[in-house]
Amino acid sequence: MAALDWLNVLVAAILLAGIYAVMSVGMTIIYGVMKIVNLAHAGFMMLGAYFAYELFERLHLDPLWGAVLAFPMFFAIGRLVYWLFVRWLPVSNQPTLASLLLMFGIWLVLQNLAYLIWGNQDRSIFTPRTFLTTQIGPITVSTLRLVAFAVAVVSLLVFEVVLRRTWYGRSVRALIQNRYAGQLVGVDTKRTASLTFGLGIAFAGMAGALFASLYSFNPDFGRPFLIRSFVIIVLGGLESASGVALGALVLALAETVGILFVPAGYQLAISFGLLVVVLLVLPDGLARLFERKYRPA
Amino acid sequence: MRAASSIAGSLFRAVRIQVLLPIAVWVTLAAIPWVGVEPNLVRLLFVTFIWTITGIAWNLVGGFAGQVSFGFAVFYGLGAYAAAILINEGVHPYLAFGAAGLVASFASLIVGVPTFRLRGPYFAIATIGVSETVRVIMTNLSVTGGASGYRIVEKRAFNQAEHFYSALVLLTVSFLLSVWIARSKFGLALVAIRDDEPAAADVGVNALTNKLAVHGVAAALAGMAGGVYARYAAFIHPQGVFAFNTSVYILLIPVIGGLGTLFGPVLGGVIFGIVEEQLVATFPEAHLLIYGALLILIVLLEPGGIIGIARKVRLPRRLRSAT
Repeated sequence: MAALDWLNVLVAAILLAGIYAVMSVGMTIIYGVMKIVNLAHAGFMMLGAYFAYELFERLHLDPLWGAVLAFPMFFAIGRLVYWLFVRWLPVSNQPTLASLLLMFGIWLVLQNLAYLIWGNQDRSIFTPRTFLTTQIGPITVSTLRLVAFAVAVVSLLVFEVVLRRTWYGRSVRALIQNRYAGQLVGVDTKRTASLTFGLGIAFAGMAGALFASLYSFNPDFGRPFLIRSFVIIVLGGLESASGVALGALVLALAETVGILFVPAGYQLAISFGLLVVVLLVLPDGLARLFERKYRPA
Repeated sequence: MRAASSIAGSLFRAVRIQVLLPIAVWVTLAAIPWVGVEPNLVRLLFVTFIWTITGIAWNLVGGFAGQVSFGFAVFYGLGAYAAAILINEGVHPYLAFGAAGLVASFASLIVGVPTFRLRGPYFAIATIGVSETVRVIMTNLSVTGGASGYRIVEKRAFNQAEHFYSALVLLTVSFLLSVWIARSKFGLALVAIRDDEPAAADVGVNALTNKLAVHGVAAALAGMAGGVYARYAAFIHPQGVFAFNTSVYILLIPVIGGLGTLFGPVLGGVIFGIVEEQLVATFPEAHLLIYGALLILIVLLEPGGIIGIARKVRLPRRLRSAT
């Protein structure tokens, strides 16, 4: 393969990694702060896709605006779900059986509500921009992917600033590092957990809406992405947001290159294979290899 | 004197409900094909047995050892395919069932070895990954007919009673095995791992080997259940035996009945076997929605399931000790 082809693959992988990072960062902060594996993440991504779809069909709103609007909308939904269900879970430093089963139940409900509302046929969003391409130097990329990537990167940067500069961000980092020490210095765990759950769901909804303009979707949409999110988080070291970007890039690269050698039907096997390898070789994640000084953030 | 006799009395009552009732139920069940019940009821019982076996198997891993698996359909499906292929090759069905258990047990290592060394959610998530991957592979595998499924051709007359008894025997074996595990040192080790893994490790419990062992046993039971089912159904396909729904059902059965108890999966299996038929017929679209809502309600309101409610109600006092 020519060098130019490899460059194309690399750019495609980076663009994909941006959305992958948005999708995984929500799962990471929820896990970091509450030690809950949000299995319902896939369900909220799927709802995010339908949210963008409905806005596009009814109000003719561009799906990228849908992605931006999905953020506050799913933040509210996330806080509601927290208030209704999640806050009753016993607090633990380990993911509990109860939390896994609860989030799984919520996922089943969301998925099957969507089947009732939208049926099981695949939907997709076509805008005049869908097939546009942009020429950057010698390589050609889809404009839509480029814009989706920009939206993803901006939202991640804003989130990084929030984590570093605000009191909420400090509470989140404190709870991720040491829950009890955080409580001792007066971090309001309930409020931080509620906000974090809302933010995590907001990122899930936004990622779903971003994917909606790139792929077709149905109520089962999101399940493969649940595995991918988890691979990314494990790659990034389960509790660090900076690792998420790295993990997303590694997975996106593996998938984009893998598709050249493996039939598309087996793509999920690539991410799963990567998960097994990482668990066996470096269970602490890639991030620990490179940066030990900047632990969680 | 008085105290001693009342202790003896309550012991007798406990023994009565724990041993005599299951034996009475078992004898009744075993007699069913003899008294000429309609074939559809025998089929319903057969399916209920299969679900109950998988529920007992899941409970060993999820209830006793506290490791949540979302991928038991993998073992069920692999067992079904292994038995199906062997029966078509002319192997005796009962040998094929045993081989199905071995195949499933071997497959359990693929998830267990990388994830059981670590604490945390790794195992639970990896099981979702494995079940997705295996279904994709089986859907594309041409040897077994891929997505269009696999047919079992047996060169003998169909005998419903034989299928019924093979399921009943496997159910009995599974239940007795779970009783034995619950009372053995092995079972104690599993419960210790569930309750506090670092503490268990401190007193010399090897978490990795114990988790691998119980996962292997449970996979073998689920695989054999798949094999028995495949022989009865005579046709299996990846979207059936490997379906995500199958994993959901298997997990739901012990959760409904009562996690970590001996009778929980049996109660759950009976309820599920009967309700599932009605639900699928009445709400073909919404039955998973109902199961999801049920799961949320059980986790938040009564994590002990039916057995938990029975313990709280205090009415059947004997049932409390029966678990």
